[in-house]
Amino acid sequence: MLEIKNLRVSYGQDVVLNGIELELGPGETLAIVGESGTGKTTLGLSIMRLVEGTVRGTIRFKGKDLLALSDSEMQQIRWSQIAMAFQNANNVLNPVYTVLNQIIEPMVEHGLKTKKEARDRAAELLRYFGFPQGRFAAYPHQLSGGEQQRVLLAMAMANNPELLILDEPLSSLDAAARAQVGDLLRETDKQSARLVATHDLDTAGKLAERVVVLYGGKIIEAGLTRDVFYRPRHPYTRALIRAYPNMTTVKDLQGIKGRMARPVSGCPFHPRCTQAIDICRTKTPRLLRHQGRQVACHRGGIITLLSTRNLARFFGSLKAVDSVNLHIESGETLALVGQTGSGKTTLAKTIMGLYQPTEGGVYLEGVKVGNRGKDFYKRVQMVFQNPGESLSHRLSALEAVMEPLDVQGIGTKKERENKAIKVLGEVELPQTNDFLNKYPHHLSGGEMQRLAIARALVLDPALVIADEPTAFLDASIQAKILKLLLNLQEQRGLSMLYITHDIAAARKVSDRIAVMLDGRVIEEGPSNEIIAAPKQDYTKNLLSAASALHSAESSELPRAIESR
Amino acid sequence: MHIDLKREIKESGPGKTGLIILLLMIAVALLAPVLAPYDPYQQSTASLLSPSWSHWLGTNHVGQDVWSRLAFGARTSLLVGFGVGTLATLLGTAFGVSAALVGGLYEKVVMRMVDAFIVIPMIIVVILISAYIRPGILTLIFLLSLLSWQGGARIMRAQALSLKERGHVAAARSFGANRLYLAWRHVVPDLGPILLVEFIYGVRRAVFMEAGLAFLGISDPTVVSWGMMMRDALSFSYLDVWQWWLVPTGVALSLIIIGLTFVGHAAEPVIEPRLRGVGIA
Repeated sequence: MLEIKNLRVSYGQDVVLNGIELELGPGETLAIVGESGTGKTTLGLSIMRLVEGTVRGTIRFKGKDLLALSDSEMQQIRWSQIAMAFQNANNVLNPVYTVLNQIIEPMVEHGLKTKKEARDRAAELLRYFGFPQGRFAAYPHQLSGGEQQRVLLAMAMANNPELLILDEPLSSLDAAARAQVGDLLRETDKQSARLVATHDLDTAGKLAERVVVLYGGKIIEAGLTRDVFYRPRHPYTRALIRAYPNMTTVKDLQGIKGRMARPVSGCPFHPRCTQAIDICRTKTPRLLRHQGRQVACHRGGIITLLSTRNLARFFGSLKAVDSVNLHIESGETLALVGQTGSGKTTLAKTIMGLYQPTEGGVYLEGVKVGNRGKDFYKRVQMVFQNPGESLSHRLSALEAVMEPLDVQGIGTKKERENKAIKVLGEVELPQTNDFLNKYPHHLSGGEMQRLAIARALVLDPALVIADEPTAFLDASIQAKILKLLLNLQEQRGLSMLYITHDIAAARKVSDRIAVMLDGRVIEEGPSNEIIAAPKQDYTKNLLSAASALHSAESSELPRAIESR
Repeated sequence: MHIDLKREIKESGPGKTGLIILLLMIAVALLAPVLAPYDPYQQSTASLLSPSWSHWLGTNHVGQDVWSRLAFGARTSLLVGFGVGTLATLLGTAFGVSAALVGGLYEKVVMRMVDAFIVIPMIIVVILISAYIRPGILTLIFLLSLLSWQGGARIMRAQALSLKERGHVAAARSFGANRLYLAWRHVVPDLGPILLVEFIYGVRRAVFMEAGLAFLGISDPTVVSWGMMMRDALSFSYLDVWQWWLVPTGVALSLIIIGLTFVGHAAEPVIEPRLRGVGIA
């Protein structure tokens, strides 16, 4: 019904949309999601031919190229066959018309209905969308935001258009009204095709079976809404989902580093992308089909940074780590949860090459890691369990953070110093001379842990393995360190293997959780699923024993983990 | 791990005494040209003189000034001592630490070699070799070092094995550090106090060995040595000369060895903290 090919919209030098390809059949709903300024509204306006800039490409509606039509021909189609509910009511509603007249106008104008019929239809639509009957004669400025939105929807639906473009249709409604109007929109008129432009993922999920993610005027990911939200393949889509407050995710909210910039050569997302490589800066990626999904990324979407295959490490007859298969994607946190002695640290040390694996191997970006050289350690770093132990008592704060750079032989001494001082700032440690010359035994536990984190970050690694980074800290400092790790992930796109016995802390920082018991990973999945619907009894025990704020009267006091 | 070696030695009475003796000996050795009124090799017709203002400790059988020879003899003794102490400690550390860090076959080979050396009676071997090659000072230093680093290597290996498991060593490995870096920056600095104790005992052993070899007459006869002086003096024991020729030399040698023993003993709790408070008071 609607087919968009190679659409390009520009305002002067500013290219707002580029290379957009879309298809929409009758009865289908497609959501266009993205941050503000990605060109969602412009796309809607282009179809309506209301855009002021230069539009190139083809927009085929029922076989006709809308861009080739004359203004009067377009006039015939606009509002009768293609209608749009605008986002900004103030600009659309005519201040001197009453609510009812606003809706009657397009119907009468297109001569589809008599004034009487139009009035009935308008009243019916308003009632349908829950607009209070007593206020039909009100003027736009007398309406609340929610009421205005209902009017706009009624207006757009007035002529039973075959293509309905909804721009942020639910954004000024409260949650309850949103659910109600959302249901109404879904149910009405299943014959028409709909395009929903929204930054609100919930709206997209409620209304559309397919979703297109727009960034910097380009489609970067497209697929079934369910799939895209459940397992985003493009780093931007994932970042968008992480930034979106919802009841499904258990991890803390995270923003996206930087701001949208324009124009950008190469991939539009590369300045904010955490896995960008050289080609991303120079060449625009094409939207390619990839596992039932379309993703525009040179790297085929989010890459798997590190994985282990059948990794095992035995100490004599003790199987400390036994055929562990894990993968960590770029920019994600995998929490490894299990009680003391379950083999978590051994697994971490085996990945780091501090222990030789008994069986299996470690793969970095799909390549098996053999003898670990400096290259490996430049990409993978570890924060050890006990910062007091892992910091040499002979090295001052500055020397400790510089040590990895010294070992790797990076830059001049001055450059190394500056880099170390900069990273100290990133982990929110003082950068004064006084502090730089302090030795570990002068520092508090929290400061030592920050120092250890700074040291692990100074090489700009892609993956940090954090082994119980907060085990020795009290709750308030633990909270600060966890926030710090999340921020660093946002800023640097760090991948993290977060090792902890504390599943309550794990759910706050991790995208996925793997539960380890007796050297094996017994359960693994998205954090929210592990927390909400654990499959293994052991995981259930872990969860029921995890910290919660119970009162003594509560019947649901935590139970001790049954001994294995 | 913060053990203050200086305090350890200062707080022990014998330690302090030992340190003073050693410093005095070193001063004599350094200032020998100033303190000695004669060239220690210069011979004269005035042989076997009793002490006088011109010859404080008299002269020996070929008319050399005994005091001057005693002062210059301190140089030989300390040079060999410190030379062997240094070299043996270096060898012991190098083999011990590398064995611990490298492990595997290398470690096995090194440690079995150490075992082999330790079962050989060192004195006999040194006497045999010296009798053949009549070593000069440098050769002697090498010879003694080669035969005396093994005990140290064992201790260093044991210490390095435990240090290797420390968190900061593991951390350094996780930055991509090679073994040389680990040894140099993380293991050897923490061995410091133990190195010193090993060094002191190395010196003591070497001083004793050097004197012994010279006494047996199988070292370089052209070098002034206390052992050789005692041997020469002994052949004139029927005269009164032993009072100013043999006794001062013997006392000097004993003092050095006692001094080293005291210092070493005072520093020993560093290796074995359980020894603390059981010193020879």
